[in-house]
Amino acid sequence: MIEWFAGTQQFVLGGVLIWASMFKLGRRAPVAARRSALRKLVGETRAVPAYRAVGLVELLVGALLVTPPVLVVEAYLAVALSVGMLAYLAYAKLRAPEAGCGCLGDKHTPVRGRGFVRAGVLLASGALAAWSTAWWPATLADAPLAWVAVVVAQSAVIVALSPELDHRWLLPLRRWRVRVSHPLARTPVTVPLESSVQQLQRSDAYRSVVGALRSDLLDSWEEGRWRLLTYSADQDGVAATAVFAVPLDGHRPQDIRVALVPESGEVLV
Amino acid sequence: MDSLGRRRFLSKAVLGTTAVTVVGASTIGSFAPEAVAGQRPKLDVEPGAPDPNFVDGRVRSLGKGELLVTSADRSMHRIHLTSATSVWKLRPTTADAAKVGDGLYARGVRLPDGTLAADAVWLNIVNLQVHITSIGRTALHLDHHGDRIVGHVVAGTTAAVYNSTPAVSDLSLLQVGKHAQVIGAWRPDTNEVDLATVYAAA
Amino acid sequence: MAQPEQLAPTTAETSWFCCGAAWGPCGSAGGGACGNCRSGSRHCAWPNTSDNCFAITRPDKCGDTLLRRTCGHTFYVQHLCGSTEIAVTIADCGPQTDLWCGEQSCCSGKCASNRLLDLTPSAYSAIGNLSSGIMPVNIRS
Repeated sequence: MIEWFAGTQQFVLGGVLIWASMFKLGRRAPVAARRSALRKLVGETRAVPAYRAVGLVELLVGALLVTPPVLVVEAYLAVALSVGMLAYLAYAKLRAPEAGCGCLGDKHTPVRGRGFVRAGVLLASGALAAWSTAWWPATLADAPLAWVAVVVAQSAVIVALSPELDHRWLLPLRRWRVRVSHPLARTPVTVPLESSVQQLQRSDAYRSVVGALRSDLLDSWEEGRWRLLTYSADQDGVAATAVFAVPLDGHRPQDIRVALVPESGEVLV
Repeated sequence: MDSLGRRRFLSKAVLGTTAVTVVGASTIGSFAPEAVAGQRPKLDVEPGAPDPNFVDGRVRSLGKGELLVTSADRSMHRIHLTSATSVWKLRPTTADAAKVGDGLYARGVRLPDGTLAADAVWLNIVNLQVHITSIGRTALHLDHHGDRIVGHVVAGTTAAVYNSTPAVSDLSLLQVGKHAQVIGAWRPDTNEVDLATVYAAA
Repeated sequence: MAQPEQLAPTTAETSWFCCGAAWGPCGSAGGGACGNCRSGSRHCAWPNTSDNCFAITRPDKCGDTLLRRTCGHTFYVQHLCGSTEIAVTIADCGPQTDLWCGEQSCCSGKCASNRLLDLTPSAYSAIGNLSSGIMPVNIRS
């Protein structure tokens, strides 16, 4: 049984490594390399060559795993690669937390828990592959349905643990759900305070006194069809309150009124 | 004069139903905008220099009309608040809203004794460039440079600005996967913010 | 990448960002691309501080050809409808201009398009209010 399972791991692990190498050898590799923690680890000028070198090693080990003959050393190489990956992730987490992983795609995704779990899964997969005695097509022939189920399930786990791939499946899924029924469609309709502030800032009334204003918005309240907004002001050394009346029923900056009223300036209790 | 009385007084002042003493001119256009824009006053702070009239830190203790704030460099700042100081904490509020542990930005005038006489205080305010990763009934789930942030929708307060149009309370045009800019109030020591304004492309 | 000189002054939108040792979600921001960025200092972020920076921010996608300006360069910034001018030095790369192509901010009949500058809270609050996430400005070198 364990030999059969090990056979499936040859295919899964080899496939993942070849897939990972494609990104590192592709045309978008320089961008991904510069955004990855390799930039910090080996320096800016060596980041791209190092990134491509990792891709070549992944391609080589992946190809060894999926092609005959079956040698234990192939699995050991894959284990060593996974250990190296864990060490790289730990370095990235500690020394370049905002840098990308650059592992399974060119999408910029900083190293988080999922990356460590994925590397752990690949490490376990490599260790399992060391038990294989036959080339993977033999295990496929033994139990084709179970083989496909294992490979699909394990691939799904690896995809789910890859934040670089979220935009391929997770976001479209969530987008679809929101399109079917937007969770925030029933928000009560009001005139937000920010709308009145925006209208105010577009007005000549605001511009006429902006040089005298000292504070952000102090207070606001509604009075009929007006929203009143107050700011602290200082006019020629006299403390005052600038009070603006902004229309609530429409966007009419030209109708905004302003007054500068003396302020007592008492200390808050 | 209490808060309601002051509001009534100010409403009458601007809506013209009572006579009040007005400092300078109070009508639109009394200050020529061009004249204001044409001035080029001396720089208040040298480029790149720390701003003496600004404080960035966390509230350590509260006093009567005062906040004691510790900055990241462990320097302590005494911030003096008056009724003329604006206080923002998700929305315009009063000094009573300040709590120990709140993050704070304050702008004002540094007094000779080192106290900052604050004109404006912003509590827990954050401005985040994010991607919307999912939308729930009461919250947006956001990705901020790889960190997960939960943005709580606050009924009656949260507004959206789509493609530079005026802010609206309708959040139903927000889309999963799109980028957005969020102004909100951080809930101290969590990865959660209460949303004030979401700038997004519709 | 060589960029032609942009005419100065120019109008643009600006927002604010935190950097340096800070609280909240800003805590991981660090010292920015130049290593010395501080929220309490008069600093800014510029979209064309290096090739790598330009590759991320891509102001050219919005039709803006920006001059390469590196860490420490000084800009003078004024609210489009304000009277106070501040001076800021470049301490970080940003904003990501291409995400907001065509966006406009206006005041009193004057408008500015595209996000070409980010300011620290200290700088932004000297000419605007932090509670408004975006404002139109005049920028000159």
